[in-house]
Amino acid sequence: LQGKRGISFEEVARAAYDEGRARLATELLDYEPRAGKQVPLLLSMKEDGIALDKAIESGDTDLIYHVLLHMRKKLPQASFFRAINSRPIASSLVEASAIDKDTELLKDLYYQDDRRLDGSNLLVSEAILASSNTQSQADKLKLASKLLADSKEYTTHRTAIDEQIKLLKYQETLERELPPNPVATSGVTSPGATTDSSIWKGLSINETCFRLIRTGNSKRASKLSSDFRIPEKTFWWLRLRALVAKRDWA
Amino acid sequence: MAPLVSINPADLAEKARRDILQLLEGVRGKKNLVIQKSLSGPLSLFVKFSTLQEYGVDKVFFLENDNVDTSQKNVVFLARGEKAHNIYAMAEQIKRVRRDSQTEHDFSVFWVPRRTLVSDQILEESGVLGEASILEYSLYFVPLAEDVLSLEYNDAFSDLYLRKDPSSIFLSAKALMTLQEKHGLFPRITGKGDNAKRLADLLLRMRSEVSAGDDMMSSGNSILGLTPSASIESLIIVDRKVDFPTALLTQLTYEGLIDEVFGIQSNQTEIDSSIIGAAAPQSSQASSSTAPSGPQSRMRKIQLDNSDSLYTTLRDSNFAIVGPLLNKVARRLQTTYESRHTAAKTTAELRDFVSKLPGYQNEQASLKLHTNLAEEIIKHTRSDIFSRVLEVQQNMAAGADPATQHDNIDELIARDVPLRSILRLLCLESTLSNGIKQKDLDIFKRAIVHAYGAQHLLTLSALEKMGLLTVRSGGLASINPTARGQAANTYTNYQTARKNLALIFDEVNESEPDDIAYVFSGYAPLSVRIVQCILQKQKITSLSSQRGGTPTAGTTNATTGWKPFEDTVRQIRGATFDEVQKGEEKAVKARQILSGSAHGAEKTVVVFFLGGVTRAEIAALRFVGQQMKEEGKGRKILICTTGIVNGDGVIGAAIEEKGFGGK
Repeated sequence: LQGKRGISFEEVARAAYDEGRARLATELLDYEPRAGKQVPLLLSMKEDGIALDKAIESGDTDLIYHVLLHMRKKLPQASFFRAINSRPIASSLVEASAIDKDTELLKDLYYQDDRRLDGSNLLVSEAILASSNTQSQADKLKLASKLLADSKEYTTHRTAIDEQIKLLKYQETLERELPPNPVATSGVTSPGATTDSSIWKGLSINETCFRLIRTGNSKRASKLSSDFRIPEKTFWWLRLRALVAKRDWA
Repeated sequence: MAPLVSINPADLAEKARRDILQLLEGVRGKKNLVIQKSLSGPLSLFVKFSTLQEYGVDKVFFLENDNVDTSQKNVVFLARGEKAHNIYAMAEQIKRVRRDSQTEHDFSVFWVPRRTLVSDQILEESGVLGEASILEYSLYFVPLAEDVLSLEYNDAFSDLYLRKDPSSIFLSAKALMTLQEKHGLFPRITGKGDNAKRLADLLLRMRSEVSAGDDMMSSGNSILGLTPSASIESLIIVDRKVDFPTALLTQLTYEGLIDEVFGIQSNQTEIDSSIIGAAAPQSSQASSSTAPSGPQSRMRKIQLDNSDSLYTTLRDSNFAIVGPLLNKVARRLQTTYESRHTAAKTTAELRDFVSKLPGYQNEQASLKLHTNLAEEIIKHTRSDIFSRVLEVQQNMAAGADPATQHDNIDELIARDVPLRSILRLLCLESTLSNGIKQKDLDIFKRAIVHAYGAQHLLTLSALEKMGLLTVRSGGLASINPTARGQAANTYTNYQTARKNLALIFDEVNESEPDDIAYVFSGYAPLSVRIVQCILQKQKITSLSSQRGGTPTAGTTNATTGWKPFEDTVRQIRGATFDEVQKGEEKAVKARQILSGSAHGAEKTVVVFFLGGVTRAEIAALRFVGQQMKEEGKGRKILICTTGIVNGDGVIGAAIEEKGFGGK
């Protein structure tokens, strides 16, 4: 039959399936060039894996999503993950769609897949979202750091997370101990910085240091820089910029 | 089918306009329009707000603002159907309006460019599918200029490279299919890059799907099936991933710099009115008519397109010569003004002069605008930090040892230069030299987190995922011809590309450019060089042999495809391919008879950039087109792309905006 025109393999296959010959139907469907017609039939024949492959082949993301949604409802999570893991496009689409809707799913996916960095990043972004509560932020970060614990690859990443926990705590102390200083309003322009001088949380290390110098807390600044091992050159630039902003020419 | 007519962007605009108006007409009575923000720009390119009003649109809301009110009975949504979050947002709003309102509402949804199965599924689950009449608005290419078509799909870059979501490839294929349906098959599809390959495969596949549909007489309308086009020479597809560095460099053309400094969206840019003066009501460019509700702040919208003849001459020039060009125009205007005393003696002459006056006034207004813009840009380019950044960029592009630039980058970080500029430099280093050494990269990461906040751990991970910022390792570092086996996912070897394709061009003349390298003052964008490998073989051969590169095989003028540059191109990341599309013989013959007279007419070469194109590359391609015209090859270049990008946009796709302090 192959090569003859005017034959809808979809219809033939459907007929074969209705006759109860599922295998033949699947084979026949291979000749059907239009994925839009293959996929629904395959799904109704419960050939999920093949349907997914055909959808991916077609490049039509809508079809792929369609199959994925269908499979996700039907299959237990673990076997759903297994099905998509061997197909990179499918798993990246699941990730893309889950990112703003369903972080729990992602966590499970990363865990099962042993993707530590991705899992840890997810926790970091949750920590960012929980910005109202320093304690819960720190907790999330601790979890993120723990995920990376037994892997040499991510030491830099891990130190950075640990430092951030420390910094958040320190900034909390600053907010408690330092009186709001009306002089220090502008000057820090990077995103995340607020103009309210009593709020320190959310500033980066350099920004914290900068503002400490600007508000005349040089001692704390030096302490901070040695705590976090800021390179000397960077620290000098920070001092220079802060003192200029303060118009302190002494 | 009008296969002989070459592609005309104005037709596309006209069709898009007619389609949307037809859809709006289908909704009887007055209506409120809810539109996805990123669609409003493209829409404004071909339909005016006043026209929408004539078709009964009362108010326009942004989908993202979630503030559609209940003033009109009809509520019309216009959004892209590919993204799940749009669909959810829409379902929520339909529910909200239904809850808040006293009266019944009629909802209509126009999906761009098509209704998807997923959208139906989501709307059904939200229980609103039944109440909305759902239609498709098949908007694909939007003409930005007479030689630039864009899908204006802003997410294409992050979708493709960060989330590995191929929907933009599919959309591109669909869009190119619409061109094929109208003008015939691309006789040849040549391309570079993995995604480009995927796109070409999709095109071939869709073609067979179309003919399968034909066979069964289901669609019925297209008669012959598709035959090779008589008006199109070929399609060249370039994957952005093949050449990231070009997108990361600071563009140095006038239009490029406007994009770098102010940003251009759908041919519009917003500029503080203190810079360019308050909106001059008589100037035609200030008609930002589709600007929907919302506070009009001190920003003024400026239209940047070929309706402004001065801009047309300026936009593709290197910024260095914009000053002299402006000066020349100013002088000319002045002399014409003065000539009115001497020349206009008789009433006839005077009348003649007066009739030209509006033209002069327009020109003067546009001159004033561009002088102010240029001055503002000069302020940027003269700053210490700008020149430092540029210096680092130029050194890296020229192939200096990246380690020599690390001190500079360190200092820039300490001076709190915007993060995007820093990341552009680091990614530039990484992409140019196959990654950064582990030790150096760790130091930079630490410095960035310290300076800009720990949230950028996510940024850095994202960049890594996109392949923009990677660790140099032995495995996938270099492509040499011997290790051809795993050519699938390796990196572009800039060392050889620089030499063989003459990417660096020191003695470039900016005022009368003789090479595309003028757009970056000495660096020729690799992506455009690749296109030249197909279109201007002799020129490239002479360039590279002049410069002591390995002279590639002799003069093969008549050949098409990649010959004789296969070896060079193999050193560049991703798949290389060259497909020829043939039609059925009978149909081809019929076509030949039909088009017999049109032989030798100017053919179009479609250059498609998958994942975005920069304005500097557009300028360079226009320059190539110009050169080919001078060489007597009657070919027109039509640039198509998923969207227009610049370095900040590339990096912006990765940047985590939220900080630990909230907001």
